[in-house]
Amino acid sequence: MTLEKIFVIAKTTFKEIWKSKILVNVFLIGLAMMVITYVATEFTYGVPERVALDFGLGMLSLSSLGISLFLGVGLLSKEIDSRTVYMVISRPVPRYAFILGKIIGLMGIQVVNVLLLSMMTITATILLGGQVTELLIWAILFTLIESLMLLLVVVLISLLANTVLSVLLSVVLLLLGHVIRETQDISFVATNPVLVKLLDSYHFALPAFYKLNLKSEVIYKSKITSSYLFMSGGHGILYSLFLLLMIVYFFNKKNLD
Amino acid sequence: MINFNEVSKIFKSDLITKPFIALDNVSFSVPEGSMVGFLGANGAGKTTSLKIIMDFIRPSNGSVQFSETLGKNKLEVFRNIGFLPERPYFYPNLTGEDFLIFMGQLSDMKVSDIKEQITLWSPRFKIDHALKRELKTYSKGMLQRIGFLSTIIHHPKIIILDEPLSGLDPIGRKELKDVIVEVHKQGKTVFFSTHIVPDIEEICDRVIFLKEGKLTYDGSVSALMKQARNQDYEISYSSNLEIDSALIKDKIKLPDNILKITVPSEHKDKLVQSIVQSQGIIHNLELIRPSLEDIFYHTGTRS
Repeated sequence: MTLEKIFVIAKTTFKEIWKSKILVNVFLIGLAMMVITYVATEFTYGVPERVALDFGLGMLSLSSLGISLFLGVGLLSKEIDSRTVYMVISRPVPRYAFILGKIIGLMGIQVVNVLLLSMMTITATILLGGQVTELLIWAILFTLIESLMLLLVVVLISLLANTVLSVLLSVVLLLLGHVIRETQDISFVATNPVLVKLLDSYHFALPAFYKLNLKSEVIYKSKITSSYLFMSGGHGILYSLFLLLMIVYFFNKKNLD
Repeated sequence: MINFNEVSKIFKSDLITKPFIALDNVSFSVPEGSMVGFLGANGAGKTTSLKIIMDFIRPSNGSVQFSETLGKNKLEVFRNIGFLPERPYFYPNLTGEDFLIFMGQLSDMKVSDIKEQITLWSPRFKIDHALKRELKTYSKGMLQRIGFLSTIIHHPKIIILDEPLSGLDPIGRKELKDVIVEVHKQGKTVFFSTHIVPDIEEICDRVIFLKEGKLTYDGSVSALMKQARNQDYEISYSSNLEIDSALIKDKIKLPDNILKITVPSEHKDKLVQSIVQSQGIIHNLELIRPSLEDIFYHTGTRS
């Protein structure tokens, strides 16, 4: 019964966002990306497919992270402000079912967004003489996991802070999560035991987004072991589950006033 | 059906600001089959009480108990409640029908049953013509009506409404009040908050009054009116008679040499007799019946 309700809430959330025509904007972004790719290849010698992949994966990442950030931050706060949450949880619907349904619905939009832009990226790559590699599929999958992680980070923070602060903190965490590995490699940091400990401890609690970034490996056709791929993907999924548990816990405790 | 037991709610936003007591040891009950009005000025604590009943916020002290007729656990209880928040803003891109199906499905109804209920009730709420339109195109009155329809679509035993009549024009208010009365006559308990006293006087049999977070009255409307009746009379008359001012409470001069006096019950007969004996004319003699509004907002509250 509860599963059905999660599905009903997810379906309605998906429908509501779908009808807001956000995906039309995504489609236009994709078209713009293809035009930019074409123009850029005119100024590039020898590797036009790399340009297509660079622009394509970049746009894919930006649009999916943008959707997570800006739709995620309002996922609950808008519901509380407009009192629609009261309509839903005054029915025999557990709070966790409500929040899971909302997140799954928004993730459905993310899947469509990623599929749409991936298809366009792959089309542009093939048209410019490139190939679809296994690593490209992994990179697309990792972008989806990364956007899920960011969505959950934003939703969790929005349960504890206001909208502006939630966006700011999430962007900070996203940036930190991407630069943490490079920061550890800086010799000043690597030779300072306190900083090493500090940055190591980052991995225990905060999201390591860099593990899900395969863009340069795809573009430069670097070799990556399957164990690295499974470990990184596993990290993303497990961390997302951890965030989901935190969200359910805090939403159950939250005073919806 | 609902027992609100010694509930207090204190809001404290940070360490510096003084805590705000929204509810101070409030207890009341909503009996089965009754139509209860929840009255109080803005900020009296009505919405806070309703949010505590619906478990949106937790009380600082006290508890809320539901009778077993509503269910044994929270989900069973909520299956038998229809709740409409104050000025709800529904999902703007859904159609009216999508929204009602969504709400019905959340209450474990089959889509076919929901559609049957929509066909039954939507003409009554005058929204049948707009069901295929997106909610963002609805007027405020239409949103309120579809919101109310969504609260009764799953056959709840009790309907809880937060300011259901606010923001509606007089015709919209009348129509919604008629539906509330109709639903009540079908055996549903109705509990609704408002700050508009005549609405309560018109349709409720019980009233709960909150003032500044404290309960000041919980009982039947008729008992309150009876208790509040001051047994004063108004006499309008024309006469040259000089009446002892100690016997009257108020005196107003009206046009055409008519005087209107307010007299306590015990002096009424004596004064009428005096006016008649002095060849005067009595134009009107009336028992003053204070309205609920007079009782609550003009003459003060009663415990």
